Amino acid sequence: MIKIENLKASIDDKDILKGINLDIPAGEVHVIMGRNGSGKSTLANVIAGNETYEVDGGNITMEDTDITEMSIENRALEGIFLCFQYPVAIPGVSMAYFLRSALNAHRKYQGKEEMDALEFLNKAKAILSELGLDDSFLKRSINDGFSGGEKKKSEILQLLTIDPKLAVLDETDSGLDVDALRTVAKGVNKFKNENNSVLIITHYQRLLDYIKPDVVHLMIDGQIVKTGDMSLVEKVEKDGYSWLEK
Amino acid sequence: MIDTLKKTSLEFFHKQGYPTKKLENWKFTSSKNFKKFSKKEISDISIANISTDETTLLFINGKLCLNTFKNFRYRDNIEINELANIEEKAILTFSDTFMNDAMFNLGMSEFDGGHYIKFKKQTNVEDPIKIVNLFKNDTSDRRIVSFNIFHFEEGSQISIIEKDINEGAPSFNLKMNKFICDNASNLNFAKYVEGKSDCHLLSYSYYKVGKDVCLNMDSMNKDAIFSKEFIEIDLNNTGSDAKVNILNLVKDEQHLDNNILINHNAEHCTSFQHVRNILDNKSSTVFNGKVIVAEGAQQTDSNQSNKNLLLSLNSTAFSNPQLEIYADDVSCGHGSTTGALDENSIFYLRARGIDQGSAQKMLIKAFAKEVIDEFSLSSVQDISEIALDRWIDG
Repeated sequence: MIKIENLKASIDDKDILKGINLDIPAGEVHVIMGRNGSGKSTLANVIAGNETYEVDGGNITMEDTDITEMSIENRALEGIFLCFQYPVAIPGVSMAYFLRSALNAHRKYQGKEEMDALEFLNKAKAILSELGLDDSFLKRSINDGFSGGEKKKSEILQLLTIDPKLAVLDETDSGLDVDALRTVAKGVNKFKNENNSVLIITHYQRLLDYIKPDVVHLMIDGQIVKTGDMSLVEKVEKDGYSWLEK
Repeated sequence: MIDTLKKTSLEFFHKQGYPTKKLENWKFTSSKNFKKFSKKEISDISIANISTDETTLLFINGKLCLNTFKNFRYRDNIEINELANIEEKAILTFSDTFMNDAMFNLGMSEFDGGHYIKFKKQTNVEDPIKIVNLFKNDTSDRRIVSFNIFHFEEGSQISIIEKDINEGAPSFNLKMNKFICDNASNLNFAKYVEGKSDCHLLSYSYYKVGKDVCLNMDSMNKDAIFSKEFIEIDLNNTGSDAKVNILNLVKDEQHLDNNILINHNAEHCTSFQHVRNILDNKSSTVFNGKVIVAEGAQQTDSNQSNKNLLLSLNSTAFSNPQLEIYADDVSCGHGSTTGALDENSIFYLRARGIDQGSAQKMLIKAFAKEVIDEFSLSSVQDISEIALDRWIDG
């Protein structure tokens, strides 16, 4: 699904990513764990095309299309979805208007007809119901006045509505209580199938109790230094990261 | 009375001259822009192309058009007098702030044919009354002065939508309006300018508010080339509420100045000022807002907000929110922000597949919509949203 080769990126002349190699096939869930400042969120943002970061080398390929130089919106339309660690509040733009605009941008890109308001509402309401959210959620401004849990549920609502090819979850589990964590995990499990992929960036094992990863990567100082299975998560929980530096 | 007032006003203006930038209220808007205009006689104006319905009051160059008033649906609820016939000084005079402003005095010395329009007690108007101000000019550099007084007697419930239409050669329109809101009256007053022109506008609106009054003043301006607007509200009795919501959309070299003063002179009154400016190209705006809470005006609740969105590095927003509080049991807040579109918000929208141009439009609309949603009349909200779309697509 996505292939990253020798990716290097910096911000304000400070090197953050120092040669990332990552291959996530369709149907797989990958996890990246690492200390604060190891470059996990930078990787998520660079995949999404955040122009704050400078790509200094390497390339990102999405289903045989090189997206390294592609605009933010075209990457999204190609199927990349970043679940933000800190979703932005935008007062004055309703969730319904925003979601329908985003969905129809995708449909137009895919050569499909735009979804009318009624059809969209039915689709969105069904997802809201599964996430335990009230229909009035759609009338609220984007993330404005939302609790931490609501913001993350809003991200999952967007994920399920747009139904991208690759979901990048940037510390989506941070700051969530157990109920919200279960809701988020339920949403991600509903999303994943054999035709799409998930990249989870996290510090903790707790989300992985609900979403079983196929591959685990450990990241230190802008590089993936170890790749393995769920046993890596257990070792990190027990021993931290210092053993990787020996 | 009028002749005396005109004479003293002219003396005041001759003594003071055009305001200089040393004066706080004229610091960011130069009066020299008005100097090239002068009073000139106006020939008869044809109104053949102006259609009015039974809810419209038509003013041509500031004078009420009595021909169209014959068909006015609420004429039985209204008493009309020429200002020349008003002998009561208290009705004709404005606030001290205005009476000490040189340009206001110039206007008072020159106006001709204004009216005192009184809405009788308990008048309840279902559909908004439309006031159409047609400024029609056939010669260059003309100063057109108008003065009208609107009086809303006790218990009246009135909504007014005022529209300025400029036709012909560019003029300088100096408007003076006084609104007297008696006890328990409810006034929704919304206004906008239609059609871009090279006209200059200087307006003075004074609201004298009684007890338990609900006053909403909404304004959207996108077409004035050069405009300075003074709004002063005197909350003189208890339990009244005044809201001022203004949206200005400016581009090119437009300059818009809002000068708002709200005087809390009595207990238990609330006021709210919400002014948003969106600026592009080399345009400029001024927000000079002030709330004065007098000694004894306890339990005042007042809020003042000015937000400026700069779409160009060459645009300039001056913001000067002020509070003067002489009572000790009040809740007053004020704030001002000026900045460009938020890059994080643009990234967020683009990361959902929305292209950059659409994302920017969405954010501009959201910024404006927050004040449009506060407008008291839904029809004005609709007009404003359409105008906003056109302005953005511009």
